[in-house]
Formats: sequence, C-alpha cells, structure tokens
Amino acid sequence: MELFLQSIANGLVQGGFFALFAVGLVLIFGVMGVVNFAHGELVMVGAFTIWVLHAQAGLAYIPAIAVAIVLVTVIGLLMERLLFRPTRSDPLAGLICSIGVLFILQVIAALVGGDGPSKQVPPPYQGTLVMFDALRIPYQRVFSLAISVAALVSLWFFLTQTKFGWALRAVAMDREAAELQGINTNRTSMVAIGVGTALAGLAGGLIAPLTNINPHMGHNVIVTAFIVTIVGGVGSLSGAVLAAILYALFHTLITVYFGGTIATISGLVLMVAVLIVKPTGLMGVSISE
Amino acid sequence: MSILEMNNVTKQFGGLMALDDVSFQIDEGEIRGLIGPNGAGKSTMFKNIAGFYKPTSGSIVYRGVNLEGKQPHTIAEMGIVRTFQETTLFQELSVFENALVGAHIKSRSNVFSAVLGLDRLKQQAASEKVMDVLEFMGLTERKDQLASELPLGSQRALALAIALVSEPRMMLMDEPFAGMNAEETNHMMGLTRKVRESGITIVLVEHDMKAVMGLCNYLTVLNFGKLLAEGTPDEIRNNDRVIEAYLGGV
Amino acid sequence: MNSKGGFTIQRMLFGAVLLAILLVTPHLLSFHHKDLLIFLTINVLAVCSYRLVTLTGEWSLIHAVMMGVGAYTVALSVNHFELAIWFTLPLAGVAAGLVAALLCFPLLRMTQFYFLIGSFAAGEAIRLTWVEFVGVFGGTSGLRGVEAPIVWGIDFLDPIPYYYFSLCVVTICLIILYRIEHSRVGLTLHAIHWKAPLAESVGVDAWRYRALAFILGSFFAGIAGGLKVQYLGSVTPNQFTIGFMVFILIWVIVGGYNKFYGPIIGVVVLTIFDESIRSFEIMRPAIYGGMLILSILFLPLGLESIPAKLKFWFGSGTSPDEPPLSDQ
Repeated sequence: MELFLQSIANGLVQGGFFALFAVGLVLIFGVMGVVNFAHGELVMVGAFTIWVLHAQAGLAYIPAIAVAIVLVTVIGLLMERLLFRPTRSDPLAGLICSIGVLFILQVIAALVGGDGPSKQVPPPYQGTLVMFDALRIPYQRVFSLAISVAALVSLWFFLTQTKFGWALRAVAMDREAAELQGINTNRTSMVAIGVGTALAGLAGGLIAPLTNINPHMGHNVIVTAFIVTIVGGVGSLSGAVLAAILYALFHTLITVYFGGTIATISGLVLMVAVLIVKPTGLMGVSISE
Repeated sequence: MSILEMNNVTKQFGGLMALDDVSFQIDEGEIRGLIGPNGAGKSTMFKNIAGFYKPTSGSIVYRGVNLEGKQPHTIAEMGIVRTFQETTLFQELSVFENALVGAHIKSRSNVFSAVLGLDRLKQQAASEKVMDVLEFMGLTERKDQLASELPLGSQRALALAIALVSEPRMMLMDEPFAGMNAEETNHMMGLTRKVRESGITIVLVEHDMKAVMGLCNYLTVLNFGKLLAEGTPDEIRNNDRVIEAYLGGV
Repeated sequence: MNSKGGFTIQRMLFGAVLLAILLVTPHLLSFHHKDLLIFLTINVLAVCSYRLVTLTGEWSLIHAVMMGVGAYTVALSVNHFELAIWFTLPLAGVAAGLVAALLCFPLLRMTQFYFLIGSFAAGEAIRLTWVEFVGVFGGTSGLRGVEAPIVWGIDFLDPIPYYYFSLCVVTICLIILYRIEHSRVGLTLHAIHWKAPLAESVGVDAWRYRALAFILGSFFAGIAGGLKVQYLGSVTPNQFTIGFMVFILIWVIVGGYNKFYGPIIGVVVLTIFDESIRSFEIMRPAIYGGMLILSILFLPLGLESIPAKLKFWFGSGTSPDEPPLSDQ
C-alpha cells in the first residue's frame, strides 16, 4: 500500500511534466496542422541548458529555467518562420523538416556536452516533504509539480479568457473559416508554436534535475507525447492534460510492478486500442463532417 | 416504377438540421432536378444517397434494397455513381487512366494476375470500353493528356466519362454546369441528354436554372433541409413558395 | 512513349551498362565497402517496398519494424530449425505480411496523421517486445549465431557471392514491385491517393486497397530484413528503431517518391554521400538533417526531378511533368 501511494504521488509529478509537452504538441498540431517530431528534442535542449548554465556555469536554477524557455522558444519561432510556414500546404513536408531539426539539435547537444556518460544536475531544492509519515516526496518534485500546474492553469486562462486565445482555438477548429473571419493565421501560428515550445523548454528545465540528460532523451519524450496525444484526443487540450495524468499514473504503477519496458509496451497497446475504439481519442470530437 | 425512394430522411449535424424529414421518389429513366437555395441540403442529400453520410433517421431504398449501412463503394457496385461538385478528377493521371479507374467494378485485377500478366483479355476489354466511352464523350483525341491540362468543359466531360465507364443505372450529378459559359453549358446539356438516352437515370443538383429547366422532366425543391415543392419545371416556375424561398434566400 | 523502337535500344544500352557496373563494382571495393554495397542493395528493396505502401498516400512509420519481423523470423527459423535460405526468405516475407495483415484492422481505421502515429506506436510496441522477451528474442543483445547459408557449395560468408545473391533477390522483388505499380492494381492505388472519394464513388474499396499495399509492402520489407540477418549473422532490436525508419523516409523523400526509381536514386546517392562525410563523425546526423530540410524546401520532388528541371530551364521548354503511369 505504501508503495502504491508513493507510486501515485510520483505518477502525479510525472503527469504534470507529461502534460507540459503533450499540450504543446497538441497546440502546434491543432493550430498549424504539423506534427513536430522535434518536440522531444526541444525538451532535451531545455534540460541541456540547465546543465550548462546551472550545473556547469553556476547560474541560479530559476534564471536558468528562464533562459531555457527563451532559447527553446526562439528555436520554435525560427522553425515556424523558416520551415513550417513555407511548407504549410503540405503537412508531410513540415513533419520531415522537423525530423531534420531533430537530428541537428541532437548533434548540437552532443557537441556542447561532449562525449561520455549522461549528465546529471544536482537538485537545487534539497530535502523531502513527508506526508502521513510514509509518503515521501522530494521538494524538487513538489516544485516541479507546482510549476507545471501553474503553467497549465495560465495556459487555460490564456486560451479561454483572452481574445488571442479565442483566435487560436478558432484556427484550430477550422483554419479556412478563421481566415475568412479575418484572423491572421501567420500570427496565430507564431503564437501557437511560441507557447508550445515555451512549454517544452519549461518541461526540459523542470525535468533536468530529475533525470539523466543526454542528446537522445527526446525519444522517450516524443513516444510519451504521442501516446498522451492520441489517448487524449488529438484536437483536445484538456484531453491531453487528463490523458497525461492518467498515463503517468498508469506508467508509474506498471513500471513499479512489472518494469519499464512492459509499461511502455502497455502504453503503446493502450494507444492502439483507443484508436480502434475511438480514432479521435477519449475527449476528441469528430469533426470530419 | 420508382428506382429510388427517400423515406423521411433526416440528417443532423450537431444542432443543425441539414435534412428534415424529406421524402420523395425518383422514377427509372428520369432526369430529376434537385434544386434549392444555398444550404438547402441538396449536396447533403447526395452524400446520403451515395453512402458518404449516414442518415440520422429515415431510409433510402434503391430498387427495393435499403441502403442503410452500405459503404460508398458497395453502393457504386449496386449501380449508383455520383459525380462531384467543382471538378474532381485524378489530376495527375491521363484522361485514359482517369476513365480506366471507372472500369474498376467490371474489370478489377488482382495482384497475382497483374504481376504474371494473366488477365490480359479482361484488361483489353476494359480498354475498349474506356475508348468507347471517351468516343461517346468526344474525348478520344485527348486520351493521353493529363486531366489537369484539359479545358473546363472537357474536364466535366471526363468526370462524366469516369462515371459512365462503371456502367451505372443511376447517376448523381453535383453541379456539373457550375462556372461554365453558355457554349460549354449547351455542350454539357447535350452530353447529359445522351447519357439519359443510353438508359441511365439522372439526378441533377444544379444552380443554373436554364440548364435545369431545359433538361429535367420533374423537379424537387428543398429549402432549409425541408421538402418545399415538387412538380414539372412549369409548375415550379410559377410556385409562389419557391419564388419566395429563392428571393428571400438571396 | 513516343518512338518506341529507339527507346528500347536506349533502354537496352542503359541496362547493359547498369548490369556491368553492378557486376564489376564489388571487385573494385575494399572489404568495408563490400559490406556497405550489400546493405545498400538490401536498402534499395527497403525503400522500394516502402514506396508501394505510400502509393495510396499514407505514410507509415512501421516499415523498419516490418524488416525486423522478417529478420527475427529468419534468425529464429535458422537457429531452431536450420532452414535453408530458400525457405527462410519467403518465410520472412510471409511473417511480415501476416503481422501487417493483423495490424490493418486497427491501423487502417486511421488515415494521415493518425495512421502515421498509430503505425509508429504499433511498431515501437513490437520492437519493445523483442527487447522485453529475452527468452525468445534475446533482449537488447538480440539473436546471434545465425549461420551463413551455403548454397551450391558457395559460402555466403564471403561478401561477393552474397552480394550477387542479394542482387538477384532484390532484382526479382523490384520487377514484381514495378509490375504491380504499372498494373491496374497500381492505377487503383494511385487513384486512391489522389482522390479517394472519387475512386470510391466508382466502386473502389479504398480500405482493401490500402490494406493490400500495406501487406505487400511489408512482405517485401520482411524479405529485405531476412537478407540482412542472413548476412550479418545476428539481429538486435536496435537495428530497426525509429532512427532507421527515418533514414528510409529520408532516402525516399530526398530521392523523390513520385517515380519508381526516385527512392533508388535517393538511397544510392545518400549512401555514397554519407560515406564521403565519414570523417565528420559526430556531425553526420546534422549534415543529414540539414540536407533533408534543404531538399524539402528547394527540391520537393526529389533528386529524381533534377534532369527534368534542367531540361525545362535550359532546353526544350516542355513541362517537367510527365504522367506518373504509362499506358497499359
């Protein structure tokens, strides 16, 4: 039971982290219609930035996160301007371009980090929160969860309460109709990818002290993001958040009891199962008609 | 004898009633016009008949068979073939290849005979059929051109040819005259009459009233998803409710 | 198409030169490059079979794993039953085809983005199964000791005979793939790609044809995987990651997927290119990535379109487009 509760707590922290990058991927896909395969690498770049600035150069953790967010956002904006906008008529071309970016970012990370083993960032927040005598959550994880939740809530406010958020959602629902209503799709694309990649940068910053950092860590991130996106319904942001939390709990529990590979296989099978039953995902609505 | 019966067909998209309890019948050998202002539900009706949409309620019966749950390709095999709004062709294929796709039902090939060349006779028959239809449509000389290189009139003729090659009993034509000049319209009207004379029942959705009145023997008018009126072109022309719907709609 | 006689002579000449190059090349290469030549030959089959899948306009991310299914089938059948290569290769194809047939039901409910991601998930699940079930598939270190076949007394451990052997197998497969594409079946696949609703409206069961392309493409991918393991003598899950899948994708796209020979040009040119930047080591993926982006942005029809483009700019002024299919 203790193990179970502890796993639930760890799962929740993971869920917040999953939600950050899954929501970004959904936002970019929804508004721009492009699958950003380099999204995992953006998280990786965020984590590497923390390693370079915080662990190596001694910059404080929070400013390092800020730099990571800015850096990743700039990469995202450049991708939109240089790659996705010229290839907008062909979603496959955008996807292929993002694979090109993926390779380039991996190499840059390898050059910056040098050869050798995975990097580690010592947790800036030491100590452990103890609840009910048994439940132990390191403060680093508490911090990560709190920031994730705060970021997601701000995103929700942005999308539902601001005019620009409405515009984004309109474009995601029907690009042509939105254009007819005078919404500038170039600007909404910039904002969507800006927000989406900023979240990826933040996710990288938050995960950095909790994981092994290497140029190939993006692979697991993108696999997770795809599972979460599909299970949650491709067009649905709230679905992605819900799916992120559920999947994190699911993955953590299965990892604890059966091992990590089985957990990932089950996740993938779950995803295919969701696609069989309801190709638009748990929260997705069919917009084909 | 009626070839197609619509019985209380309703199609709902979320809160929108695209078709509201519509019933009418089409007789074998007719050219039936399906008209109405924009958004009246004409195209939705076509898509329901051809199996691209499923009616929310009601039934569509073709030659005594309920079409409920049938896939588009099955309905095509049963003899109902639709043409599309605007110009829908395989732009990247030649005229001949476009029409050959239409021969799918009658002369489909499987991988083994295709690789080993076992179905040469069948393929030859298909080619001859395609050439006959291209001749009928006046496209013989253009058979090696890409569909995308054809002038508008020939593109529409090719769309008809693809449908004809499949030897349908009934053709649903979705705005075949849209965007045509007077000369092209006249030519297309001639082609449509020829198709009907070959024994194919035609249902026509069209905004070009001159073409509709000139071609159709009977008209069905839809408005806001409801059946508004039915009658001969003369009756419809003088129907007050139809006039009101058109004037009010524009 | 026009002036058929002259065309045939040109073709025969071209074929003779190509054949001579293919036959002589291995004798001019170092041992390392002979290896590479064999992998290149196998990869030609990988990209051409992948192109068959993409003819309907659906891009899958499971093709590399299908090669893996073939490879594992061969490894298991050689290690446990000592089957000869005449049986193992078709078996590899059939196994991959069967897996594809089973996957059709979930995967082909989806199209476009959903299919892409769904195929990726299914592939990754299969690959992780090889990692997880150590008893059967050997885990991360895979299966080793797959004995090199001996045919007519020739030891296929030697790269040159094995090269000729795989050249024969791949050529036969390519002829079949070519004939499929240029048959009525191929025409229907093209038709589904360009306008699925129009094809359906004249009675084409698009689902069945998508399934057919997927199963056949996987069949030949399985054979390619089988060829690979018979030469390497071992198979690991890491040979068939999304990384390798991305390479297949790059070869096909950079070469140009509108023509049968586009992907072949892509894989040959990029393999030579990759070899020539060997000294850059760590930079190689980035150079690849950069090339990929440049080719998408500036050469969307692929390397295959360069001659037509040059002709268009400097010569006759005819349109660079050509019908993708010739007459029957």
